[in-house]
Amino acid sequence: MTDAQQLPLEGIRVIDLAQVFAGPACTRILGDLGADVIRFESANRMDVTRNLIITDNDGIDHHWHRASYFVIRNTNKREMVVDLAKEEGREIVRKLVAGADILVESFTPRVMANFGLDYEALSKIKPDLIMCSLSGYGQYGSMRDFGAYGMGLEPASGISSITGYAGGPPMRSGLSFTDPYSGFVGAGAILTALRYRRRTGKGQYIDLSEQEAAIPVMAAALLDYQMNGRLAERRGDRSGYAAPQGCYRCAGDDRWAVISCENDAEFERLARATGHAEWLDDARFATVTARFEHHDELDAAITAWTSQRDHYDVMRTLQAAGVKAAAVLDGKEILFDPHFQARHHFDIVDQPLLGKRPVQRHLAAKFTRFEAKARRAAPLLGEHNDEVLREIGYSDEQIAKLKEDAVIADQPNLPVPAQYVAAALKLPYDRYLEHGILQAVDADYREQLGIAE
Amino acid sequence: MAKRALSDLRVIDISQGIAGPYATKLLADAGANVTKIEPPAGDYTRRLGPFPGDVPDPEKSGLYLHLNTSKRSVTLDVSVASGQVILKKLLAAADVLVCGEKASTLRAWGLSYDDLRGEFPDLIVAQVSPFGATGPYAEYEGNNITAMAMSTIMYNTGEPDREPLATGGQAGEYLGGVQLWIGILAALENRERNGGGDHVDVSMAEAVAAADEYNAAMYGFQGAVRRRYYSRHIFGYPNDIMECADGYIVVIPGASGFPSPLQPDTISPMALLMEDIELDKTVFFQQMGERMVHWREFEALISPYLMSKSAMEIVMTAQALRLPFAFVPTASDLLSDEHLAERGFFEHQQHPRAGAITLPGAPFKMSVTPLTESPAPLRGEANADVLVGELGYETGDLTILSDRGVI
Repeated sequence: MTDAQQLPLEGIRVIDLAQVFAGPACTRILGDLGADVIRFESANRMDVTRNLIITDNDGIDHHWHRASYFVIRNTNKREMVVDLAKEEGREIVRKLVAGADILVESFTPRVMANFGLDYEALSKIKPDLIMCSLSGYGQYGSMRDFGAYGMGLEPASGISSITGYAGGPPMRSGLSFTDPYSGFVGAGAILTALRYRRRTGKGQYIDLSEQEAAIPVMAAALLDYQMNGRLAERRGDRSGYAAPQGCYRCAGDDRWAVISCENDAEFERLARATGHAEWLDDARFATVTARFEHHDELDAAITAWTSQRDHYDVMRTLQAAGVKAAAVLDGKEILFDPHFQARHHFDIVDQPLLGKRPVQRHLAAKFTRFEAKARRAAPLLGEHNDEVLREIGYSDEQIAKLKEDAVIADQPNLPVPAQYVAAALKLPYDRYLEHGILQAVDADYREQLGIAE
Repeated sequence: MAKRALSDLRVIDISQGIAGPYATKLLADAGANVTKIEPPAGDYTRRLGPFPGDVPDPEKSGLYLHLNTSKRSVTLDVSVASGQVILKKLLAAADVLVCGEKASTLRAWGLSYDDLRGEFPDLIVAQVSPFGATGPYAEYEGNNITAMAMSTIMYNTGEPDREPLATGGQAGEYLGGVQLWIGILAALENRERNGGGDHVDVSMAEAVAAADEYNAAMYGFQGAVRRRYYSRHIFGYPNDIMECADGYIVVIPGASGFPSPLQPDTISPMALLMEDIELDKTVFFQQMGERMVHWREFEALISPYLMSKSAMEIVMTAQALRLPFAFVPTASDLLSDEHLAERGFFEHQQHPRAGAITLPGAPFKMSVTPLTESPAPLRGEANADVLVGELGYETGDLTILSDRGVI
């Protein structure tokens, strides 16, 4: 990319009233593409992610500036802390909207209308505004006012009903899966609307229900039920058409690799690569039908091979033979993996108070003409109050008055003294280690990552 | 006629399976003219089903019918020179070429970005592959489960003493498709702004890793390595799926479900839900760390209540108490869900061969240019329209090409 070139969304302004995970993942992509994203927070109710995964598990002093969860989702954004319960606060939003292109919000449906900031009102100020509401269950329908957390919405989309061990209960993924999924869908929806606006000059309103956005992942199960009256069974890591497929124990402490053979040729390569050509003459394994029937026995035979090897060795050996295989990576390994490093999945961001930190890409797509990367640190609480207000014509006196009246702020109003919050945020990692909730805690992790000061 | 957001966009899609076709479905349902190029035997999802009555029929595969709405189908073998010649004629009028092959395959076919950029300087070549077009694993083979494995999400899903679990429904493929779709739209924005085509390179493994909530961040900011723990958040138990009298629900106490030291004299919503105010005095109601570490005792404490009530009763009562509990629907539950029906979510369609089917509807509702889904095409149904009508071949040529197995 030459200096003269702009990022694709440079000059596009996004007002970001979204909190937590889905909305911020959506607007982070817009920011990564060059949009000027101005996020809003409230001093009385900070984004809850400012309280999560505090750097070094240490809530001392300004924990809200030390929250990793917040940082990884909010790089490339500016931020204001504005009290929207006050008319002067809502006036700031309206003034910004007049010069904005996109507004993203993730409140429960009644909130924006209560503020007088629904699409009807805002499109009078900016007729070609694109507004996207991300909510758990959508803007209308009998469940629209349901309280909705990410951890409930993957199950609500149906995906949990087909996730789990064979014969076991439905399971959630180890994250609020539909939060990033629907946030990404929101970014694509907004880009779709933006392209239409360029051609026609028309804005529009997008109602994105997190539950609905993820239901297409369930399509095969939905159709099987319609066509055959069958409810998809949970089957661990097995496949409906590839056999063997599974996650196999490798040498080491809790190390695993996945292997998947989608046809006889791949199975033959697996058999030869593992030194078990005799599998090919074994009636139990010779055809895909036989392999499905004797999957447990085949898994035991494969495990006898994998369990003697490092998970990376399993991947490399099998991939060299043309077999689909991958090491199951943990949160440390992915940071050191040569492939993720070569493709710059993590950008190093210099974050105030925290120093250099790895921040994952949210737009995985790579381009030859530009990079959708984390270019600047995540904002401190209310860091850009004055800067943004001046840009839209507020005088220093007016800004001082807004501060005095607590319409804008750069400190949270904590319900209890900060040291109590800090104590509550410090998770009992010693006990988590003991109970296997954590695998390890490396004291020298910054040296290992090469990001020590 | 409804306004279509992308009606000026022409897309040629040679990808098969889920990821690439899902990306072009999202473009096609928004009005883009998507020509799906299938090998003469058809996209392999035509063989995956599910099929009505479990009888395989390439025109009735549920997965294919879902992923290929609003597209036209042309059969063309792009792995042979005569097929590549025809494909390049189509690219002359296209904005985007979508492919699902790894880099070496595209190079062998002369269809990589570097092969095409000279002749088609404004073309966007969008490629989704298991590990991406560059890097040490570029030539590795992969699918949904390899992407899940590399992402850190799988390592953190499942029970601690059992194998890691992949999220159901080929979720990694869909994430790859969504990321490709965003990449295409971003490259189009860039073309408007700066001019020129581009190579959009999506690794399915990275697409899933981009969704990681905090596994890498826990290491990068704390040196801590998380592992799966009944697929729970590290922020505390429950927030997980639990059994009730007639199925399962998600128990989510949220920020204010348990007793608050700030309001010592009030009864917690969780205690109100379970109709037992004594619970507020237990260490499990008072300390998140205790619930997490001694979750079995906590579960024993609340299980009798859950097992005495239906999912409907628990979730509705919890929601009235402002606890964000959720249902755990199956495919059948979703199809008969009242809320989704009120929102008109599902798309009821009449397909010429498969008959009446219900498909997942638009993943978002646009007020001016709503997404619409017309039935997926029959294999090669647009061969004559495209080859004769648009490229100027003679009808007789079609027979020759067909005899040679090119179309």
